Amino acid sequence: MVEIVFLTPLITGLVAFFLPKSIGRFLLVLTGAAHLTLSFMLWKDQPQALFDQYFAVSPEGMLSLLVISLLFFLISIYTVGYLKESEIQAEGLFTGSMLVFLSTMTMVTLSDHIMVMWIAIEATTLASAPLIYTHRSAASLEATWKYVLICSVGIAMALLGSVLVAFSMGQANAGTPLSFSALAGAAKALDPMWLKAGFVFILVGYGTKMGLAPMHTWLPDAHSEAPSPASALLSGVLLNCAFLGIFKTNKIMVAAGLEDFSGGILMVFGLLSIIAAATFILKQNEYKRMLAYSSIENMGIIAFGTGVGGLGVYGAVICMLHHSLIKSSLFLSSGNILLGYGDRMIKNTGNLVKVMPRTFVVFFAGFVGIAGFPPFGIFIGELCIIVAAFRAGFHVAVTVFILSLCVIFAGFANQIMKISFDECNTEIKIKEKAGMVWPQYLLLLTSLILCFFIPDSLNQTISDAVIAIGGGLR
Amino acid sequence: MIFNPIDIILSFVLLSVLFSFGTDRVLILIKLLAFQGIVISILPFFIGHDMSTGSTVFTLATLIIRGIIIPLSIFVAIRKGAIQRVVEPIVGYHASILCGLVVIIGATYISGRLDIGSVSGFKLLEPTAIALLVTGMFLLMARRNAIAMVIGYIMMENGIYLVGSGLSVGTRHIVEFGILLDVLAGVMIMAVILRNIKKTFDDVDTALLRTLKD
Repeated sequence: MVEIVFLTPLITGLVAFFLPKSIGRFLLVLTGAAHLTLSFMLWKDQPQALFDQYFAVSPEGMLSLLVISLLFFLISIYTVGYLKESEIQAEGLFTGSMLVFLSTMTMVTLSDHIMVMWIAIEATTLASAPLIYTHRSAASLEATWKYVLICSVGIAMALLGSVLVAFSMGQANAGTPLSFSALAGAAKALDPMWLKAGFVFILVGYGTKMGLAPMHTWLPDAHSEAPSPASALLSGVLLNCAFLGIFKTNKIMVAAGLEDFSGGILMVFGLLSIIAAATFILKQNEYKRMLAYSSIENMGIIAFGTGVGGLGVYGAVICMLHHSLIKSSLFLSSGNILLGYGDRMIKNTGNLVKVMPRTFVVFFAGFVGIAGFPPFGIFIGELCIIVAAFRAGFHVAVTVFILSLCVIFAGFANQIMKISFDECNTEIKIKEKAGMVWPQYLLLLTSLILCFFIPDSLNQTISDAVIAIGGGLR
Repeated sequence: MIFNPIDIILSFVLLSVLFSFGTDRVLILIKLLAFQGIVISILPFFIGHDMSTGSTVFTLATLIIRGIIIPLSIFVAIRKGAIQRVVEPIVGYHASILCGLVVIIGATYISGRLDIGSVSGFKLLEPTAIALLVTGMFLLMARRNAIAMVIGYIMMENGIYLVGSGLSVGTRHIVEFGILLDVLAGVMIMAVILRNIKKTFDDVDTALLRTLKD
């Protein structure tokens, strides 16, 4: 039974709203562990869903689910330490929302029905809104307002797109299930005009949630105002969930023979995002916002790769996997820095290498990984995308792509150096406890291991996911 | 031929669209919203498919949620927070009304061009849907009052619902109900945020919400 994977965190989440602090924290980790176990069982058995019109196990969904599960488990361990150090009012609301958020994201990965997908993605917005407002400050209120309004309006566009895709089936087929698999199967019979219109609206809608420029404006605010464990979840897995909606719709487009149309738009939005990130990252003065812009960049890379097709899709999926692992590690480390220095501005930090050596190592290694250095996976992914783009003859686009990556690297490196080595006399407010450091190490280690050794079954899942939109290791 | 009941009530919705462009009061916007919500939810009774018990119950639930609960929840948010009740336009009212006229004419023109066969009986269905959508977006962009923006979002949602029912997309009621619940929960959360904005800033002018930027 597939549904149990998202029902479990939903139930524990609803319970956690009313539990006292200590039990709530315990429940968070326990649910994380249970969810991880369930996800692995799901991956191994690939069972039929009880409501198989609405839910199904798909390779790309499975991939995202595994990432969500692993990340949530490690983040939940970190969260326990984080909650002890920081003062959060209404902790029950925080832990409860985290769990419900996990449930809704799991539902996204498992949904096979185009409308259920929409319901699940909108539900992720609603479940994560209280997380952003955790600190109850004026700035966090502003971030929450922007997040809820911009994402809801964006996702409403995706609903319109879903309606149009459904309409493209024509009157003759009315009443057949609107599942992604059925639509992809009948893609040739769909009306191309409505399908194209639907795809554009879905891309704009879910693209808003994914953080593609120019609809990205909510993202840096939300990610910097949310408490770090929540930022790690938002950046590491929520963006992937939104991408999943685009990916699955793109599958229909490819099956209908419209991959040039969808690929072109994906590439434009991808490039725009990378350029936007490059402009804003250069003179960024808050480190959490800097990480948020880096997420926009990576989402741009993923969209670009998907648009290029072929080897690029493979690269995009590799980038997605590693971005989740590395970026969540970075956001957790930024939580340590925030608690330690008590300030979000880069200029008020410094000398991280001396004052918090264990955080420094993992933060710096994370930077090396996200900047696309070998041996980390982002390097492999970006290389695949660049090679694929050159092969397909997008010379101008790929030049802009590479140049922007260089600018982003320069800006990012500059800020990281300041945080790590600049003079600073601030008294550090926390000790680096084991529980607040080793989750980051584990995340990075997982990413590192996956660069050298991908289990055959995982590799199979990846190639199953990319083959449907004409991708592969060729 | 404009004699069938759907086109007649839809023409009232179009009028309400024009009205919402011109009004400067949040309270009137809420009333218009309730009216539009009620009209678009009772449409399935007229569209003429055979109504099973399930669809009747679902249509009534839509009516209660779209027509009553959603407008009411915003109204309650206003009452409780005693939020200022003028919409603070970025685009002036006269220009807004002109925009409204352009929107309605444009919507009629576009839906004429699109040639959607399924609902040819009802001339005003697509124009109204498109007009509602665009009006919602207009309110989102051209008003600084946070409440007016939320109302804009709901109008957009209403428009999309009308597109869906107009194209008679064959989704199941359980799915549509899920969508409706999502919208409802979203509006509830927005109402909570509105109240907090009022409490924190003592105003709902979104110009105050511009401290976070690069």
